[in-house]
Amino acid sequence: MDPPPERRRSEKRALLFAALVILAGAALGAGGFLLEQATSNWRPQIVRTQTGWRITEVRMLGFGGLALCDERIAWQDGPSVLLLDLRSGKARLLGPGNEAPATWQPAVSERYVVWFEGAGEGASSADAWTYDVATRRRRQIATLDDVLSFPSVSAARTVWCAARDAESRIVGVDLTNDKGLVVASEYGRPVIDGALVAWARSSGGGPSSFVLADVTQGRSWTVIPSGLGGAAGLTGFDLSGRTLVWGQQDAQTAVGRIVAQNVDTGAASIVAEGARMATAPSIDGDTVVWAEQTPDAAAYRVMGRRLRGGPSFQIARVDGQVQSALVSGGIVAWLVDNGDRSPTWIETARIPR
Amino acid sequence: MTAWRTRRSPRLGPFGMRVLFWLLVELWVLNIADLLLTRYSLWLGFATESNNVMDYFFRSGTAPTVAFKIGIVTVGTLLLWRLHRYRTALFAAALLTGVFAAVVVYQTLWVLSL
Repeated sequence: MDPPPERRRSEKRALLFAALVILAGAALGAGGFLLEQATSNWRPQIVRTQTGWRITEVRMLGFGGLALCDERIAWQDGPSVLLLDLRSGKARLLGPGNEAPATWQPAVSERYVVWFEGAGEGASSADAWTYDVATRRRRQIATLDDVLSFPSVSAARTVWCAARDAESRIVGVDLTNDKGLVVASEYGRPVIDGALVAWARSSGGGPSSFVLADVTQGRSWTVIPSGLGGAAGLTGFDLSGRTLVWGQQDAQTAVGRIVAQNVDTGAASIVAEGARMATAPSIDGDTVVWAEQTPDAAAYRVMGRRLRGGPSFQIARVDGQVQSALVSGGIVAWLVDNGDRSPTWIETARIPR
Repeated sequence: MTAWRTRRSPRLGPFGMRVLFWLLVELWVLNIADLLLTRYSLWLGFATESNNVMDYFFRSGTAPTVAFKIGIVTVGTLLLWRLHRYRTALFAAALLTGVFAAVVVYQTLWVLSL
Protein backbone atom coordinates (compact mmCIF):
# COMPACT_ATOMS: atom_id res chain seq x y z
CA MET A 1 0.00 0.00 0.00
CA ASP A 2 1.37 3.46 -0.94
CA PRO A 3 2.07 5.87 1.92
CA PRO A 4 -0.34 8.79 2.18
CA PRO A 5 0.55 11.96 0.19
CA GLU A 6 1.31 13.87 3.39
CA ARG A 7 3.87 11.25 4.39
CA ARG A 8 5.46 11.32 0.90
CA ARG A 9 5.79 15.10 1.01
CA SER A 10 7.37 14.90 4.42
CA GLU A 11 9.83 12.26 3.16
CA LYS A 12 10.78 14.48 0.22
CA ARG A 13 11.33 17.46 2.49
CA ALA A 14 13.51 15.35 4.77
CA LEU A 15 15.63 14.26 1.80
CA LEU A 16 15.89 17.86 0.62
CA PHE A 17 17.04 18.99 4.03
CA ALA A 18 19.67 16.26 4.15
CA ALA A 19 20.83 17.23 0.64
CA LEU A 20 21.17 20.85 1.76
CA VAL A 21 23.57 19.76 4.50
CA ILE A 22 25.70 17.99 1.88
CA LEU A 23 25.57 21.06 -0.36
CA ALA A 24 26.72 23.30 2.48
CA GLY A 25 29.62 20.94 3.22
CA ALA A 26 30.49 20.70 -0.48
CA ALA A 27 30.57 24.49 -0.77
CA LEU A 28 32.89 24.63 2.24
CA GLY A 29 35.21 22.00 0.72
CA ALA A 30 35.26 23.67 -2.70
CA GLY A 31 35.90 27.06 -1.09
CA GLY A 32 38.80 25.67 0.91
CA PHE A 33 40.29 24.09 -2.19
CA LEU A 34 39.97 27.29 -4.25
CA LEU A 35 41.46 29.35 -1.41
CA GLU A 36 44.41 26.98 -1.18
CA GLN A 37 44.95 27.16 -4.95
CA ALA A 38 44.74 30.95 -4.94
CA THR A 39 47.30 31.29 -2.16
CA SER A 40 49.79 28.74 -3.55
CA ASN A 41 52.81 30.46 -5.05
CA TRP A 42 54.47 27.72 -7.12
CA ARG A 43 52.67 28.50 -10.40
CA PRO A 44 54.79 30.34 -12.94
CA GLN A 45 53.28 32.80 -15.40
CA ILE A 46 52.27 30.80 -18.48
CA VAL A 47 51.34 32.70 -21.64
CA ARG A 48 50.52 31.32 -25.07
CA THR A 49 52.63 32.90 -27.82
CA GLN A 50 52.34 32.81 -31.61
CA THR A 51 54.73 29.87 -31.79
CA GLY A 52 54.12 28.04 -28.51
CA TRP A 53 54.36 29.00 -24.84
CA ARG A 54 56.32 31.41 -22.69
CA ILE A 55 56.75 30.42 -19.05
CA THR A 56 58.18 33.09 -16.77
CA GLU A 57 59.25 32.58 -13.20
CA VAL A 58 57.31 34.39 -10.50
CA ARG A 59 59.09 33.36 -7.31
CA MET A 60 62.49 34.63 -8.54
CA LEU A 61 64.26 31.46 -7.46
CA GLY A 62 65.59 30.81 -10.95
CA PHE A 63 64.52 28.32 -13.59
CA GLY A 64 67.01 25.61 -14.49
CA GLY A 65 67.43 22.07 -15.73
CA LEU A 66 65.08 22.20 -18.69
CA ALA A 67 63.99 18.84 -20.16
CA LEU A 68 61.74 18.26 -23.16
CA CYS A 69 60.04 15.24 -24.66
CA ASP A 70 57.33 15.54 -27.30
CA GLU A 71 54.54 17.61 -25.80
CA ARG A 72 55.93 17.99 -22.28
CA ILE A 73 58.62 20.03 -20.61
CA ALA A 74 59.95 19.59 -17.09
CA TRP A 75 62.24 21.98 -15.27
CA GLN A 76 63.40 23.23 -11.91
CA ASP A 77 61.97 26.35 -10.30
CA GLY A 78 64.27 26.82 -7.35
CA PRO A 79 63.88 23.61 -5.38
CA SER A 80 60.66 22.56 -7.14
CA VAL A 81 60.26 20.29 -10.15
CA LEU A 82 57.48 21.35 -12.52
CA LEU A 83 55.91 19.67 -15.53
CA LEU A 84 53.99 21.47 -18.28
CA ASP A 85 51.74 19.84 -20.86
CA LEU A 86 52.34 21.86 -24.03
CA ARG A 87 48.96 20.89 -25.49
CA SER A 88 46.88 22.25 -22.64
CA GLY A 89 49.29 24.62 -20.92
CA LYS A 90 48.54 22.89 -17.62
CA ALA A 91 51.41 22.91 -15.12
CA ARG A 92 51.94 20.37 -12.34
CA LEU A 93 54.12 20.57 -9.27
CA LEU A 94 55.87 17.21 -9.03
CA GLY A 95 58.18 17.71 -6.09
CA PRO A 96 59.99 17.83 -3.89
CA GLY A 97 58.18 16.57 -0.82
CA ASN A 98 58.18 18.44 2.47
CA GLU A 99 61.30 16.73 3.72
CA ALA A 100 63.47 17.31 0.65
CA PRO A 101 64.34 20.95 0.04
CA ALA A 102 66.74 20.30 -2.85
CA THR A 103 66.31 18.82 -6.31
CA TRP A 104 68.46 18.27 -9.32
CA GLN A 105 67.59 18.85 -12.93
CA PRO A 106 64.82 16.51 -14.08
CA ALA A 107 64.69 14.27 -17.14
CA VAL A 108 61.57 13.50 -19.14
CA SER A 109 60.55 10.76 -21.57
CA GLU A 110 57.30 10.01 -23.39
CA ARG A 111 55.78 8.67 -20.16
CA TYR A 112 58.06 9.34 -17.21
CA VAL A 113 59.70 12.24 -15.42
CA VAL A 114 62.71 11.35 -13.26
CA TRP A 115 64.44 13.61 -10.76
CA PHE A 116 66.49 13.52 -7.56
CA GLU A 117 65.48 14.94 -4.21
CA GLY A 118 68.11 15.68 -1.58
CA ALA A 119 68.01 16.54 2.09
CA GLY A 120 69.62 19.92 1.53
CA GLU A 121 71.40 22.15 -0.94
CA GLY A 122 74.78 20.66 -1.76
CA ALA A 123 73.80 17.26 -0.40
CA SER A 124 75.29 14.40 -2.39
CA SER A 125 72.89 11.71 -1.21
CA ALA A 126 69.44 11.73 -2.72
CA ASP A 127 66.30 9.81 -3.47
CA ALA A 128 65.41 9.18 -7.10
CA TRP A 129 61.76 9.81 -7.90
CA THR A 130 59.60 9.24 -10.93
CA TYR A 131 56.25 10.59 -12.09
CA ASP A 132 54.20 8.46 -14.46
CA VAL A 133 52.25 10.70 -16.82
CA ALA A 134 49.82 7.88 -17.70
CA THR A 135 48.79 7.03 -14.14
CA ARG A 136 49.65 10.44 -12.58
CA ARG A 137 51.51 8.51 -9.90
CA ARG A 138 54.67 9.74 -8.18
CA ARG A 139 56.93 7.23 -6.46
CA GLN A 140 60.43 6.77 -5.17
CA ILE A 141 62.57 4.41 -7.24
CA ALA A 142 65.97 4.45 -5.55
CA THR A 143 68.07 5.87 -2.73
CA LEU A 144 71.53 7.01 -3.75
CA ASP A 145 74.53 7.52 -1.46
CA ASP A 146 76.50 9.78 -3.74
CA VAL A 147 74.97 11.33 -6.86
CA LEU A 148 77.49 12.08 -9.61
CA SER A 149 75.27 13.02 -12.55
CA PHE A 150 71.79 14.15 -13.48
CA PRO A 151 69.32 11.46 -14.49
CA SER A 152 68.55 10.69 -18.12
CA VAL A 153 65.40 8.83 -19.20
CA SER A 154 64.17 7.33 -22.45
CA ALA A 155 60.89 5.45 -22.75
CA ALA A 156 60.85 3.39 -19.52
CA ARG A 157 64.60 3.26 -18.79
CA THR A 158 66.41 5.77 -16.66
CA VAL A 159 70.15 5.98 -15.98
CA TRP A 160 72.50 8.07 -13.87
CA CYS A 161 75.95 7.95 -12.32
CA ALA A 162 76.34 7.39 -8.60
CA ALA A 163 79.08 6.20 -6.27
CA ARG A 164 78.85 3.34 -3.83
CA ASP A 165 81.78 2.32 -1.62
CA ALA A 166 83.91 4.96 -3.39
CA GLU A 167 83.30 3.32 -6.76
CA SER A 168 81.59 5.30 -9.53
CA ARG A 169 78.99 3.37 -11.47
CA ILE A 170 76.57 4.15 -14.26
CA VAL A 171 73.36 2.50 -13.18
CA GLY A 172 69.65 2.86 -13.71
CA VAL A 173 66.19 1.46 -13.30
CA ASP A 174 63.71 -0.14 -15.66
CA LEU A 175 60.60 1.81 -14.68
CA THR A 176 58.17 -0.87 -15.84
CA ASN A 177 59.33 -3.37 -13.20
CA ASP A 178 61.72 -1.33 -10.98
CA LYS A 179 64.58 -3.70 -11.85
CA GLY A 180 68.00 -2.14 -11.53
CA LEU A 181 70.37 -1.76 -14.49
CA VAL A 182 74.14 -1.75 -14.24
CA VAL A 183 75.56 -0.09 -17.34
CA ALA A 184 79.22 0.39 -16.46
CA SER A 185 81.60 0.59 -13.52
CA GLU A 186 83.09 3.97 -14.31
CA TYR A 187 82.34 7.66 -14.04
CA GLY A 188 80.35 9.42 -16.73
CA ARG A 189 77.35 11.65 -17.29
CA PRO A 190 75.11 9.30 -19.20
CA VAL A 191 72.52 10.10 -21.85
CA ILE A 192 70.10 7.36 -22.85
CA ASP A 193 68.05 6.99 -26.02
CA GLY A 194 66.19 3.73 -26.52
CA ALA A 195 68.52 0.94 -25.44
CA LEU A 196 71.67 2.98 -26.08
CA VAL A 197 73.55 4.80 -23.31
CA ALA A 198 76.35 7.25 -24.14
CA TRP A 199 78.83 9.09 -21.98
CA ALA A 200 82.11 10.91 -22.46
CA ARG A 201 85.24 9.27 -21.13
CA SER A 202 87.91 11.72 -20.02
CA SER A 203 91.64 11.36 -19.94
CA GLY A 204 94.12 14.08 -19.12
CA GLY A 205 91.48 16.73 -18.50
CA GLY A 206 89.55 16.58 -21.76
CA PRO A 207 87.20 13.97 -23.20
CA SER A 208 89.06 11.52 -25.39
CA SER A 209 86.20 9.29 -26.45
CA PHE A 210 82.52 8.57 -26.19
CA VAL A 211 81.44 5.25 -24.75
CA LEU A 212 78.29 3.62 -26.10
CA ALA A 213 76.56 0.79 -24.26
CA ASP A 214 73.60 -1.23 -25.44
CA VAL A 215 71.71 -2.20 -22.29
CA THR A 216 69.72 -4.94 -24.01
CA GLN A 217 72.71 -6.67 -25.61
CA GLY A 218 75.18 -5.95 -22.82
CA ARG A 219 77.91 -4.74 -25.19
CA SER A 220 79.77 -1.45 -25.24
CA TRP A 221 82.19 0.25 -27.59
CA THR A 222 83.93 3.58 -27.98
CA VAL A 223 83.64 6.30 -30.58
CA ILE A 224 86.53 8.69 -31.06
CA PRO A 225 85.15 12.22 -31.48
CA SER A 226 86.11 13.47 -34.88
CA GLY A 227 88.42 16.48 -34.77
CA LEU A 228 88.17 17.22 -31.06
CA GLY A 229 91.45 18.37 -29.61
CA GLY A 230 93.78 21.27 -29.04
CA ALA A 231 92.13 24.17 -27.25
CA ALA A 232 88.66 22.87 -27.97
CA GLY A 233 86.56 21.71 -25.05
CA LEU A 234 83.42 19.62 -25.13
CA THR A 235 80.32 21.73 -24.40
CA GLY A 236 77.97 18.78 -24.28
CA PHE A 237 76.45 16.01 -26.32
CA ASP A 238 73.16 14.34 -27.12
CA LEU A 239 72.05 11.05 -28.61
CA SER A 240 69.17 10.11 -30.91
CA GLY A 241 68.92 6.70 -32.54
CA ARG A 242 72.38 5.88 -33.86
CA THR A 243 73.55 9.49 -34.08
CA LEU A 244 75.64 11.26 -31.50
CA VAL A 245 75.81 15.02 -31.74
CA TRP A 246 78.30 17.00 -29.74
CA GLY A 247 79.54 20.55 -29.41
CA GLN A 248 82.99 21.91 -28.89
CA GLN A 249 84.21 25.39 -28.14
CA ASP A 250 87.60 27.01 -28.37
CA ALA A 251 88.61 28.05 -24.86
CA GLN A 252 90.23 31.28 -26.07
CA THR A 253 87.97 32.52 -28.86
CA ALA A 254 84.72 30.88 -27.65
CA VAL A 255 84.02 29.98 -31.27
CA GLY A 256 82.37 26.61 -31.49
CA ARG A 257 81.54 23.73 -33.73
CA ILE A 258 78.81 21.11 -33.73
CA VAL A 259 79.49 17.64 -35.07
CA ALA A 260 77.14 14.73 -35.75
CA GLN A 261 78.68 11.29 -35.68
CA ASN A 262 77.31 7.85 -36.40
CA VAL A 263 77.91 5.62 -33.37
CA ASP A 264 78.42 2.49 -35.51
CA THR A 265 80.60 3.72 -38.35
CA GLY A 266 82.16 6.79 -36.71
CA ALA A 267 81.32 8.80 -39.85
CA ALA A 268 81.13 12.46 -38.87
CA SER A 269 79.66 15.58 -40.44
CA ILE A 270 79.86 19.17 -39.32
CA VAL A 271 76.46 20.59 -38.44
CA ALA A 272 77.55 24.14 -37.62
CA GLU A 273 80.76 26.03 -37.04
CA GLY A 274 82.18 29.49 -36.74
CA ALA A 275 79.69 30.95 -34.28
CA ARG A 276 79.95 31.63 -30.57
CA MET A 277 77.88 28.75 -29.26
CA ALA A 278 75.71 29.42 -26.23
CA THR A 279 74.48 25.90 -25.57
CA ALA A 280 75.29 22.28 -26.21
CA PRO A 281 73.47 20.76 -29.19
CA SER A 282 70.28 18.74 -28.91
CA ILE A 283 69.13 16.13 -31.40
CA ASP A 284 65.85 14.36 -32.13
CA GLY A 285 65.60 12.23 -35.26
CA ASP A 286 67.41 14.20 -37.93
CA THR A 287 66.92 17.64 -36.36
CA VAL A 288 69.74 19.27 -34.46
CA VAL A 289 69.09 22.41 -32.41
CA TRP A 290 71.45 24.74 -30.57
CA ALA A 291 71.74 28.39 -29.51
CA GLU A 292 74.43 30.80 -30.55
CA GLN A 293 75.24 34.49 -30.40
CA THR A 294 74.09 36.55 -33.34
CA PRO A 295 76.97 37.63 -35.61
CA ASP A 296 76.82 41.18 -34.20
CA ALA A 297 76.83 39.69 -30.63
CA ALA A 298 73.80 41.84 -29.79
CA ALA A 299 71.50 38.92 -29.00
CA TYR A 300 71.18 35.18 -29.13
CA ARG A 301 69.36 32.99 -31.58
CA VAL A 302 68.07 29.45 -31.50
CA MET A 303 69.18 27.58 -34.60
CA GLY A 304 68.30 24.28 -36.21
CA ARG A 305 69.52 22.06 -39.00
CA ARG A 306 68.31 18.86 -40.64
CA LEU A 307 70.93 16.17 -40.95
CA ARG A 308 69.32 14.88 -44.17
CA GLY A 309 70.35 18.11 -45.88
CA GLY A 310 69.76 21.81 -46.24
CA PRO A 311 71.27 24.82 -44.53
CA SER A 312 70.86 25.76 -40.89
CA PHE A 313 67.84 27.91 -40.09
CA GLN A 314 66.89 30.36 -37.38
CA ILE A 315 64.07 29.26 -35.09
CA ALA A 316 63.96 32.30 -32.81
CA ARG A 317 65.87 35.43 -31.96
CA VAL A 318 66.17 35.83 -28.20
CA ASP A 319 66.88 39.00 -26.26
CA GLY A 320 68.55 37.18 -23.42
CA GLN A 321 71.23 34.66 -22.71
CA VAL A 322 70.08 31.20 -23.77
CA GLN A 323 71.18 28.58 -21.23
CA SER A 324 69.86 25.51 -22.99
CA ALA A 325 68.02 24.68 -26.20
CA LEU A 326 66.30 21.35 -26.77
CA VAL A 327 64.35 19.64 -29.54
CA SER A 328 61.86 16.77 -29.44
CA GLY A 329 58.99 15.77 -31.67
CA GLY A 330 59.05 18.93 -33.76
CA ILE A 331 59.05 21.19 -30.70
CA VAL A 332 61.94 23.35 -29.59
CA ALA A 333 62.28 24.73 -26.06
CA TRP A 334 64.89 27.08 -24.71
CA LEU A 335 65.70 28.50 -21.30
CA VAL A 336 66.79 32.12 -20.94
CA ASP A 337 68.60 33.60 -17.95
CA ASN A 338 69.79 37.19 -17.90
CA GLY A 339 71.22 37.10 -14.42
CA ASP A 340 69.96 37.71 -10.90
CA ARG A 341 67.93 40.83 -11.49
CA SER A 342 65.54 39.67 -14.16
CA PRO A 343 63.28 36.64 -14.19
CA THR A 344 64.32 33.55 -16.11
CA TRP A 345 61.94 32.21 -18.69
CA ILE A 346 61.30 29.28 -20.98
CA GLU A 347 59.92 29.53 -24.51
CA THR A 348 58.72 26.87 -26.87
CA ALA A 349 58.14 26.86 -30.60
CA ARG A 350 56.95 24.32 -33.12
CA ILE A 351 59.22 23.82 -36.12
CA PRO A 352 57.91 22.52 -39.44
CA ARG A 353 58.72 18.85 -39.94
CA MET B 1 15.38 13.80 38.81
CA THR B 2 13.01 16.42 37.43
CA ALA B 3 15.83 18.96 37.06
CA TRP B 4 17.93 16.42 35.22
CA ARG B 5 15.09 15.69 32.79
CA THR B 6 14.64 19.38 31.95
CA ARG B 7 18.30 19.61 30.84
CA ARG B 8 17.97 16.73 28.38
CA SER B 9 18.05 17.38 24.65
CA PRO B 10 14.67 18.35 23.19
CA ARG B 11 12.86 15.51 21.48
CA LEU B 12 12.76 15.09 17.72
CA GLY B 13 9.48 14.84 15.86
CA PRO B 14 8.77 12.37 12.99
CA PHE B 15 10.13 14.83 10.39
CA GLY B 16 13.37 15.33 12.32
CA MET B 17 13.79 11.57 12.56
CA ARG B 18 13.43 11.21 8.79
CA VAL B 19 16.08 13.93 8.27
CA LEU B 20 18.34 12.15 10.74
CA PHE B 21 17.89 8.87 8.88
CA TRP B 22 18.90 10.37 5.53
CA LEU B 23 21.81 12.26 7.08
CA LEU B 24 23.15 9.02 8.55
CA VAL B 25 22.80 7.26 5.18
CA GLU B 26 24.74 10.13 3.54
CA LEU B 27 27.36 10.04 6.28
CA TRP B 28 27.92 6.31 5.72
CA VAL B 29 28.25 6.72 1.94
CA LEU B 30 30.55 9.76 2.29
CA ASN B 31 32.74 7.74 4.63
CA ILE B 32 33.24 5.12 1.90
CA ALA B 33 34.02 7.90 -0.61
CA ASP B 34 36.54 9.39 1.84
CA LEU B 35 38.20 6.00 2.26
CA LEU B 36 38.49 5.41 -1.50
CA LEU B 37 39.76 8.93 -2.23
CA THR B 38 42.32 8.78 0.59
CA ARG B 39 43.57 5.40 -0.58
CA TYR B 40 43.86 6.70 -4.16
CA SER B 41 45.60 9.91 -3.06
CA LEU B 42 48.16 7.91 -1.07
CA TRP B 43 48.71 5.60 -4.05
CA LEU B 44 49.32 8.62 -6.30
CA GLY B 45 52.22 9.55 -4.02
CA PHE B 46 51.37 13.20 -3.52
CA ALA B 47 49.52 12.89 -0.21
CA THR B 48 50.33 11.75 3.29
CA GLU B 49 47.82 10.63 5.92
CA SER B 50 47.90 13.21 8.70
CA ASN B 51 45.59 11.23 11.00
CA ASN B 52 47.98 9.04 13.00
CA VAL B 53 45.36 6.37 13.69
CA MET B 54 44.41 6.03 10.02
CA ASP B 55 48.07 6.22 9.04
CA TYR B 56 48.71 3.19 11.25
CA PHE B 57 45.90 1.24 9.58
CA PHE B 58 46.93 2.29 6.04
CA ARG B 59 50.41 0.99 6.79
CA SER B 60 48.92 -2.24 8.15
CA GLY B 61 47.13 -3.07 4.91
CA THR B 62 43.88 -2.63 3.03
CA ALA B 63 41.70 -5.11 4.97
CA PRO B 64 42.38 -3.65 8.46
CA THR B 65 41.91 -0.12 7.06
CA VAL B 66 38.55 -0.95 5.49
CA ALA B 67 37.40 -2.85 8.57
CA PHE B 68 38.35 -0.03 10.96
CA LYS B 69 37.11 2.87 8.84
CA ILE B 70 33.76 1.33 7.93
CA GLY B 71 33.36 -0.29 11.32
CA ILE B 72 33.86 2.82 13.40
CA VAL B 73 31.53 4.95 11.28
CA THR B 74 28.90 2.19 11.20
CA VAL B 75 29.02 2.01 15.00
CA GLY B 76 28.80 5.80 15.17
CA THR B 77 25.80 6.01 12.86
CA LEU B 78 24.00 3.19 14.72
CA LEU B 79 24.68 5.00 18.00
CA LEU B 80 23.26 8.24 16.62
CA TRP B 81 20.22 6.39 15.28
CA ARG B 82 19.71 4.83 18.71
CA LEU B 83 19.53 8.40 20.03
CA HIS B 84 17.08 9.37 17.30
CA ARG B 85 14.56 10.73 19.78
CA TYR B 86 16.91 13.62 20.69
CA ARG B 87 17.58 16.76 18.69
CA THR B 88 21.29 16.65 19.64
CA ALA B 89 21.62 13.51 17.50
CA LEU B 90 20.30 15.46 14.51
CA PHE B 91 22.78 18.31 15.07
CA ALA B 92 25.66 15.88 15.46
CA ALA B 93 24.67 14.00 12.29
CA ALA B 94 24.30 17.25 10.31
CA LEU B 95 27.70 18.48 11.51
CA LEU B 96 29.45 15.18 10.71
CA THR B 97 27.80 14.88 7.29
CA GLY B 98 28.70 18.48 6.43
CA VAL B 99 32.34 17.96 7.45
CA PHE B 100 32.57 14.68 5.50
CA ALA B 101 31.01 16.35 2.44
CA ALA B 102 33.60 19.16 2.67
CA VAL B 103 36.45 16.66 2.95
CA VAL B 104 35.21 14.51 0.06
CA VAL B 105 34.68 17.50 -2.27
CA TYR B 106 38.09 18.93 -1.34
CA GLN B 107 39.77 15.56 -2.02
CA THR B 108 37.93 15.10 -5.33
CA LEU B 109 38.99 18.53 -6.58
CA TRP B 110 42.53 17.94 -5.38
CA VAL B 111 42.82 14.59 -7.16
CA LEU B 112 41.39 16.11 -10.35
CA SER B 113 43.89 18.97 -10.19
CA LEU B 114 46.92 16.66 -10.22
